[in-house]
Amino acid sequence: MRFRTDLKNIRTFSKLTAALNSLERIAWLRLDDDTVRFTVIPDTGSQVWASLSAELIFDNYHLQSAEANNTINLELPLGPLQRALKSASGSNQANLRLTKRDGVPMLSMTIHTMTKDGAQDTRSGGGGQFGGGGGRGHARVSGHGYDEDLDPFDDAAELFPQESLELTMKREREKVITQDIPVRVLHPDSVELIMQPKVREPDVYIQLPPLLQLKAISDRFTKLALTTATTGGTRAAGASQNPKLELSANMHGSLRLRLVTETLDITSVWDKLENPELDPAQLIVPMNEHPSTIFKDAGANKWATVRVDGKDWSRVLSVGRLEGRVIACFTDEHALILYVYVPHFDDSSSEDVVTYYVTSYST
Amino acid sequence: MAILNFTLSEEGVAVFHDSLSCMFKFSDDVCLEARKDKLTLTTLNSSKSAYICFSFSAPRFFSRYQFEGNAQYRERFFCQLYNKSLLSVFRTRQGGDQARDGSATIERCDVTIDDGPGKKSRLVAKIACRNGITASHSLSFEIKAPTHAKFDKTEAQNRWTISSRTLRQLMDHFGPGIELLDINTDDETRVVNFTCFTEKVQKRGANANEAVLKKPLHTNIAVEMDEFDDVQVEDKLHIIISVKDFRAILQHAQITSGELATWYSNPARPMKLSYGGDGILCEFVLMTVGEKDAMSQKHKNPRPNAAKAARPELDSVSHRDSSVTNETRQAQASAPKPPQQKTPIRPRQPQFEIRPQPMPPPASMRSDSLFVGQADDDQLWEPVNPGEDEDEGDNARLEWRATDEPVM
Repeated sequence: MRFRTDLKNIRTFSKLTAALNSLERIAWLRLDDDTVRFTVIPDTGSQVWASLSAELIFDNYHLQSAEANNTINLELPLGPLQRALKSASGSNQANLRLTKRDGVPMLSMTIHTMTKDGAQDTRSGGGGQFGGGGGRGHARVSGHGYDEDLDPFDDAAELFPQESLELTMKREREKVITQDIPVRVLHPDSVELIMQPKVREPDVYIQLPPLLQLKAISDRFTKLALTTATTGGTRAAGASQNPKLELSANMHGSLRLRLVTETLDITSVWDKLENPELDPAQLIVPMNEHPSTIFKDAGANKWATVRVDGKDWSRVLSVGRLEGRVIACFTDEHALILYVYVPHFDDSSSEDVVTYYVTSYST
Repeated sequence: MAILNFTLSEEGVAVFHDSLSCMFKFSDDVCLEARKDKLTLTTLNSSKSAYICFSFSAPRFFSRYQFEGNAQYRERFFCQLYNKSLLSVFRTRQGGDQARDGSATIERCDVTIDDGPGKKSRLVAKIACRNGITASHSLSFEIKAPTHAKFDKTEAQNRWTISSRTLRQLMDHFGPGIELLDINTDDETRVVNFTCFTEKVQKRGANANEAVLKKPLHTNIAVEMDEFDDVQVEDKLHIIISVKDFRAILQHAQITSGELATWYSNPARPMKLSYGGDGILCEFVLMTVGEKDAMSQKHKNPRPNAAKAARPELDSVSHRDSSVTNETRQAQASAPKPPQQKTPIRPRQPQFEIRPQPMPPPASMRSDSLFVGQADDDQLWEPVNPGEDEDEGDNARLEWRATDEPVM
């Protein structure tokens, strides 16, 4: 069993890891010849299936196992992975490989990096107060000349402390950082039964507004609900339970976020959002029989509604850091699925989707 | 006439505060020792495995410094103070960079210490703020001779020097949950390795498999020897210290962009680190972890109590003054070691307690405003109230179906 790869798009990889880590500490990573898939299934809360083309985050990708497509299944903690990727961000080069240390399997990340301001590192005590490195460098180089002949700038020379050539020649070196992430190699049988959830055809497809905005307002609602729950003395029983937000969307470009408690009822509505067109070729039912067509024909007052846990929803929305397009699929009173399209910075045509199966609640 | 009088400038107050807060990470108490030419702050942690000494040069560091002494304290004066109360005196009222222009910034601070028969033993700090407010703090102290850790530089044949800023940045690569730092060299590859690990043993049992994944990140940083000045280290020597202590030191070392120098000999012998700033010299003596303890990490079945790496105490010396008061004699008598002690006593093995790493600050929305901030701020993506475990509500949660059956 072998796995070795160089890392690329570390920023994207790191943001994805952070988004997954906000839901669950441990992820199931499934590698095969073409795809890298991260799956996170918390005990309670939304689950995520992130299926990425290997070339999105890997380069010189080598994989070898006894399974079909060289599949390797690993279980790994997301916190350490995120920490390691933080070390790798801004590095000159980083790679990842499956290895063993003291008989324990590890994902070992080797990072070649420099310290940030090494070039400007003034090596004199308290030298930090003097301006930029450039000016000082000049003074050092010309310093020796001033010593020999009496120079009109002699006074100035004293302003610039002279340092020996040896010290100024000392160059910042590359450091090699090794971050070992503990992993567990999973037997194919043990993951065979974990399946991606199946849901019936959704009633409403809608592109979500900018997630930072949606998250800020959702979090505000959640906090308001928590505040009213703790101040209202009669709600002692309900206080222990997380606030639920009501999310609705229609096929006419509107998304509605609503919070109802005993004392307040607030709603935020977004209009003029896009309801993306479905590809008829992908559908199992004819377009005119599709639930979304029925919802569209029923007009702007026909909403598909789900209730989500405020805190869980906040964790889900942290995927906004990936800065991708997000399509929400509502199945009225039943389910909410988010498809997050990972943006590509090069022109590869592969489609990388992070799918969130958002936990929803009945009334 | 007071025994000691000194004035700190605005910057002096900040440096003084930084020094005290560094010491506070090691111990609750701080010893102050004043002489004609310098003021020294020292502290020793409770497990006696770390000793810190900051010396402030009287003419260079202070705007004014006057050591008068009296019949009792002719050469030097010493006392022990409660660090927390000292810290609160020098703390700038507003945090962050705003404080630079803030009107509540401390502009100067006059400190007077008096003691003696018929006088009140007090440290009085008069704070003058930029906005015209002056505050006067009066702190009590205990007359107690400082304990100094003994460090024999001739014994410490290993040494290296490196830019404190570089070292500080390297520490950023170490993740949470680690306890020990192993510094070792490899002459073949010409590198100095900084390896962080933990000896904490996860509970074995039904969840043994999951425990494996709870291990913290194991980090190694290889730095080329060429990046150091004056490297002279025995090949393959492993020297192990507490990460927490090392972090606290490097945090404080930010006051200088200069070099940090270390000296050490063998495992279970003290290691010294030092760096200087403007008119200030910072010295640390840390007891290193014994080799035997370090070796247990290599074994497949670590002892359950290996988490508590034993570190011997530092040797201490205490100067006996000719004119010490009764009170002082008592203090010295109760000091951990008699001052005349020359030969190191057989090191006891105190349980070197490793406190858990501080958790990152709780993520929260910067502002309660409905207006949305800058997308660049990664904090904004943190979930609302993380860490709070959700309680299962009365509401029925709709479960996902992980089957192939079509759901209609």
